[in-house]
Amino acid sequence: MHALIQAIILGILTGGVYALMASGQTLIFGIMKVVNLAQGAFVVLAAYLTYTLFVQFGVDPFASVLITTPLMFLVGMGLQWALLRPLHSDDVAQLSLLVTFALELGVEGILSFTYSTTLTNIQPSYANFSWTVFGFQVSLVRFFAFVLSLVVLAVLYLVLKRTKFGRAVRATVQNPMSAQLLGVNAQRVSALGFGLGAATAASAGSVFGMLNAFNPGSHYDLISRLLTVVVLGGLGSIGGSVVAALVMGVASSVVSAEASPIWSDFTFFIVLLLVLLLRPRGLFGARTRGAL
Amino acid sequence: MHLHQRRGLSRARLWGVGVLAASALALSGCAAASGTPSASNSAPLKIGISLSLTGDFSSSGKAAQRGYQLWADVANKSGGVLGRKVELDIVDDASSPDQVVTNYTNLITQTKVDIVFGPFSSLLTVPASRVASRYGYSFIEPAGGGPSVFDQKLNNLFFVQPAESTRGGDVFANYILSLPADQRPKTAAYAKLDDPFSAPIADSIQKRFEAAGIKTVYNQTYPSETADMTPIVAGIAAAKPDVVVGGTQEGDAFAQIKAMIQLKFNPKWLYEANGSNSPGDFPAAVSSANTEGVFGSIDWYADSTVSGSAKFISDYIAKFGGDANQIDPTSAEAYSAGMLLQEVATKTGKVDNATIIKTLHSGSWPTLVGTLSWDATGKPKGEYLLVQWVNGKLQTVYPAKTAQTSPVAPKPNWAG
Repeated sequence: MHALIQAIILGILTGGVYALMASGQTLIFGIMKVVNLAQGAFVVLAAYLTYTLFVQFGVDPFASVLITTPLMFLVGMGLQWALLRPLHSDDVAQLSLLVTFALELGVEGILSFTYSTTLTNIQPSYANFSWTVFGFQVSLVRFFAFVLSLVVLAVLYLVLKRTKFGRAVRATVQNPMSAQLLGVNAQRVSALGFGLGAATAASAGSVFGMLNAFNPGSHYDLISRLLTVVVLGGLGSIGGSVVAALVMGVASSVVSAEASPIWSDFTFFIVLLLVLLLRPRGLFGARTRGAL
Repeated sequence: MHLHQRRGLSRARLWGVGVLAASALALSGCAAASGTPSASNSAPLKIGISLSLTGDFSSSGKAAQRGYQLWADVANKSGGVLGRKVELDIVDDASSPDQVVTNYTNLITQTKVDIVFGPFSSLLTVPASRVASRYGYSFIEPAGGGPSVFDQKLNNLFFVQPAESTRGGDVFANYILSLPADQRPKTAAYAKLDDPFSAPIADSIQKRFEAAGIKTVYNQTYPSETADMTPIVAGIAAAKPDVVVGGTQEGDAFAQIKAMIQLKFNPKWLYEANGSNSPGDFPAAVSSANTEGVFGSIDWYADSTVSGSAKFISDYIAKFGGDANQIDPTSAEAYSAGMLLQEVATKTGKVDNATIIKTLHSGSWPTLVGTLSWDATGKPKGEYLLVQWVNGKLQTVYPAKTAQTSPVAPKPNWAG
């Protein structure tokens, strides 16, 4: 029982970080109908930026979020402008897969060249610290990573619900044509949306680098997890992706601790298959897709 | 010990045909078919090697290259091998088993090198050693120690490490079972990376422990994409084992240990197949205060007391820079391949392939990775060094004859 509760705690905390990564992924899909295969590479890129800021300049990895997030926001906007905007709207769904895949490989190549392929991790003095709460261990980094995820997701929620830009985004998600007829600049919304997606990857990347050892190839595992989280949650639904990330985190952790690590990811895929059979749009796809 | 087994992309690399070498060999009357020139000539001794200089294996491939080059430099400074200047012909295989076959075939039949040394990894050593065997070449190889290499039962192959790779942890079992029965662990946990070079090391220890009555309370294999080891370590902690054996590569070993620290789980003995044996990377990955008492096994490291190691280190730093703890054991293993050739030449006065094969099959041979001898399949008959972090340094603790200090048990608590 002790191991089970410990595994659930771990799963929730880890799931929070995946929720952050996946929220950007699903936002981009919601706005642009683009499956951004480079989201995992953005996370790894941000992890390396955080690593450099920490090792070269002594910037605390949590504090570096204040640098990496706006930076990746601009990078995301720039990439959308340079690579996705020119795609013809009829083919955008297919072509964007190729473009973002190329982007993913490009980021990996640059990182391999710059940092080499050996595993790295970000090791601040508190990296291994944990609190004992009722006999259970709560890692400081995981806890604050979870808190950071909640804060970023809350900011994202407020931006989408309370700002003019947010209204434009939601309008674009619900009906791009009507939104444009009402004066929403779809290109601008897309660029800002892609930027926001990259920004969430940046904040997740900073903590990802403290939780796991990573190398430029780490994005392959990440993107497969992110895609399953996004599909389980319902493509385009941020709330759905948060719930799905937590389900994935807890399922993987509990199965790994209580049954076998070999089955841990597989269990999640079984859940995914069942959900898709029963609700093909994912957990929250039908109900909240239009509302983000 | 260096047991990475990864795959890289293939990219052919062209190299010049050794016209001059062929002429030189022809002039000296060598037997082109067997590629074994007579020992009496003064032409350069050409040694052909295929290494993974690009692609995923490149960091280990380049480490091997540095070891080979350093040995050639040192040998040439002291007059070469039997008066013949050593010339290395190193070509890139980009980690491809197909390319490595092409490379060795070309080195032997086109470039007509006198001798070949091995590539990096078992994946490449298996096809490469077959080529060498077909042409009657000896195959001294520093980095292919998996079972598939010895299953070929090749007579020309000599693996330049103390034991086959999957038996790297046997020295830990030897140490534990050397303890008086009442001081041994009663229960054991095994966490194994699903990889042909990681899990078998722990399997081998587990077999020995179970035969000696040490009860297995946790035994799980995890896939290579497992990034977060914390749930696994939570499972291990719940089983309360006395000893934890990690059948690991580097990254997962670091992750296991970080998870143990975070979960405040401190076993009495902790052995990791890889990762904890890296004096350069391990303290940085888990913080140096947390290294204390962790066991590993290795064939060569910077503080190794084996004869010749200090000179190797100073020569290495003079040529390549850096510090001793950053020297990859692969460099020492490749250097040792050269040492073996030199020793055979000194002992027999000859440096042809038939003599090398015949000579290395008898006697024992001092190298940087210990004194080596082999069975008929090229499998070394020795054991690795058991190393442990004691007083902030990686030190040999077993077998007793090479130990720098006594093993520390139970393991001190994590510093946090």
